[in-house]
Amino acid sequence: MSASLDWKRLQPGPALWVSVASVAGALVAGAGMVMLMGVPVGDAIAAFADGAWGSPYALAASINRALVLMLVGLGFVLAERANLTNVGGEGQIAVGGIAATALCLWPPVASLPFGLAFIVPMLGACLAGAFWAGIAGVLKVKVGTNEVIATLLLSFIAIWMVYGSVQSESLLRRPMTTSATLPESLEIPVATQLPLLLGDPSVPLHAGLPIGLVLAAVVAVVLGFTVLGLKLRAAGLNARAARRAGMAIDRLSIGVLCAAGALGGLAGACMLQGEQYTLKAGFSSGYGFDGLVVGLLARGSVTGVVAGALLFGFLRSGGINMEMVAQVPTALVVVIQGLIIVTLAGAALGIQRMEGRHA
Amino acid sequence: MIDPELAAVFVGSTIRLAAPLLLAATGELISERAGVLNMSVEGMMLTGAFAGAVGSWATGSPSMGLLFGVLCVLPVAWLQAFLSITLRANQIVTGIGINILVLGATTLGYRALFGSRSRAEIPGLDKWAPPGLADIPVLGEHVFHQTWLLYAAAVLIFAVSWTLRATSVGLAIHAAGVAPQAAANSGLPVNRIRYGAVLFTGFMSALAGCFLSIGDIHTFTEGMTSGAGYLAIAAVIFGNWRLGRTLLACCLFGAATALQFQLPAMGVEIPNALLIMLPYVLALLAVGGLVGRQIAPAALTQPYKGH
Repeated sequence: MSASLDWKRLQPGPALWVSVASVAGALVAGAGMVMLMGVPVGDAIAAFADGAWGSPYALAASINRALVLMLVGLGFVLAERANLTNVGGEGQIAVGGIAATALCLWPPVASLPFGLAFIVPMLGACLAGAFWAGIAGVLKVKVGTNEVIATLLLSFIAIWMVYGSVQSESLLRRPMTTSATLPESLEIPVATQLPLLLGDPSVPLHAGLPIGLVLAAVVAVVLGFTVLGLKLRAAGLNARAARRAGMAIDRLSIGVLCAAGALGGLAGACMLQGEQYTLKAGFSSGYGFDGLVVGLLARGSVTGVVAGALLFGFLRSGGINMEMVAQVPTALVVVIQGLIIVTLAGAALGIQRMEGRHA
Repeated sequence: MIDPELAAVFVGSTIRLAAPLLLAATGELISERAGVLNMSVEGMMLTGAFAGAVGSWATGSPSMGLLFGVLCVLPVAWLQAFLSITLRANQIVTGIGINILVLGATTLGYRALFGSRSRAEIPGLDKWAPPGLADIPVLGEHVFHQTWLLYAAAVLIFAVSWTLRATSVGLAIHAAGVAPQAAANSGLPVNRIRYGAVLFTGFMSALAGCFLSIGDIHTFTEGMTSGAGYLAIAAVIFGNWRLGRTLLACCLFGAATALQFQLPAMGVEIPNALLIMLPYVLALLAVGGLVGRQIAPAALTQPYKGH
């Protein structure tokens, strides 16, 4: 029933129309709320556009944000194919950020040649994310723990791990020279920062972008054209039948969650090594849940993940500027997101019926 | 030797911190027993906390705030029920969606109503102690002197326990969550029972949220539930879908949180972050099967296609 090739999903079927209508409806509702707040809608939209794509810097910042959301969303879609719901993106970003910071600040890493100085921390972040999500995978397989609950709890733990690791000098906190020293890590050395694509700090697109795009293509190919993709789908549709057919479902489940976690960890590394350069408590705030929403909206399609990530990347950046310039709280963007999820979740049954009629 | 006064303060703050979890988890237990995994308990609590604070601030009466809190949560609960029961949407997705929606809406509402007057003191619920118990030295002041809502919660929870165990309503909830088809065949309106269960979760979560904002700290802060709803769900799982063990889990989580304030007072140096994450770690260990194999209601998260 569901098409395996992404291009098929782009054919204007009911799912696409309903998604577009839901996003449009939520945006209109957002505009209505702006009006209720007594802010001229024109001003709000101008501030929004300015922050989202008004300058090369704003555009690049939005794309960087979209990159992070895309990586988390890819992880969600990958696990979803095996009927596993990974809601732990936030925690996977957090452990990725911790691992990347620790490696970047470890002097031997910063002096590695051939760009390894920034590649090694990224790989470390992937491993950390994979390990973190793997815990949920092992629990699912060995004990039958619902992965939604496990990944969610792991997220809360990881968020507080970031907080803890920048509170103590014996961990990642920068040496306290004065009492005003903030609880954050040292800035990572230049060699470990992701190279800027245009070499120009006013357009902060970094090397994470091409890596992310390649990974998106890899995920699309794996899901659409490989035996592994087929196995994931079989495991997702009917795990018992797949196991009878001789597939190692347990290893597959753990593996796919680890892969999803690795993507989340990489997202954390991109945020840290590409933009923020210092680890702060709450650095991942909201990114993981935004990425989850992107994954949900995509309905299993990699193209959908890319589109959704761009949408939310722009929404968030524009929303932040709207708060600063037009005094519209950025929580408005959160409301819009919530509306989109709720309407799409509610419409799922209707979409299924319409697709059934068309097929 | 532990100072008795310090111990009494610890017990008192454990009860106070566990109270919202006790209320929310009891509510959540009902809807899970009826077959609906209600992830939106976090959003319902936040709505209750916000509406309770607004009602109390606007009328000057905390009791009116409590009423307003409950009234505002019911539409949220109805939305969860409508989406997951009537439209048969994925219960987890709708729950998370509602939580995000509520987080945004309450933050917007808070800014719109209170604006720069953030952290305004809001009239809170009165404290009360059962006569007799109040006069016990040390214990009376630190343990029994609590918001009256806490005592009301104890009565409510007792009523829920009795209803589940000894009435036909309890049996109907159980049937809807374990064997909906069989329940429907014997004439029970499965989906109506589930609607009722979700609305009841909303009611209990509203009380839990109000406890946070107008019972405990007398103010509202953005996103103030910060994961308490998820802890309530974890407590239900920890409790293996039984009320007694669920309540025990809530007290355990409450005690872990109370330690954050207690240990520094006792001169024990433990990183704050470790104590804040302790309830989540405990919950993870619980769902990880360290407290025995979990047996969920058979039809949990499965929509029922009949009426």
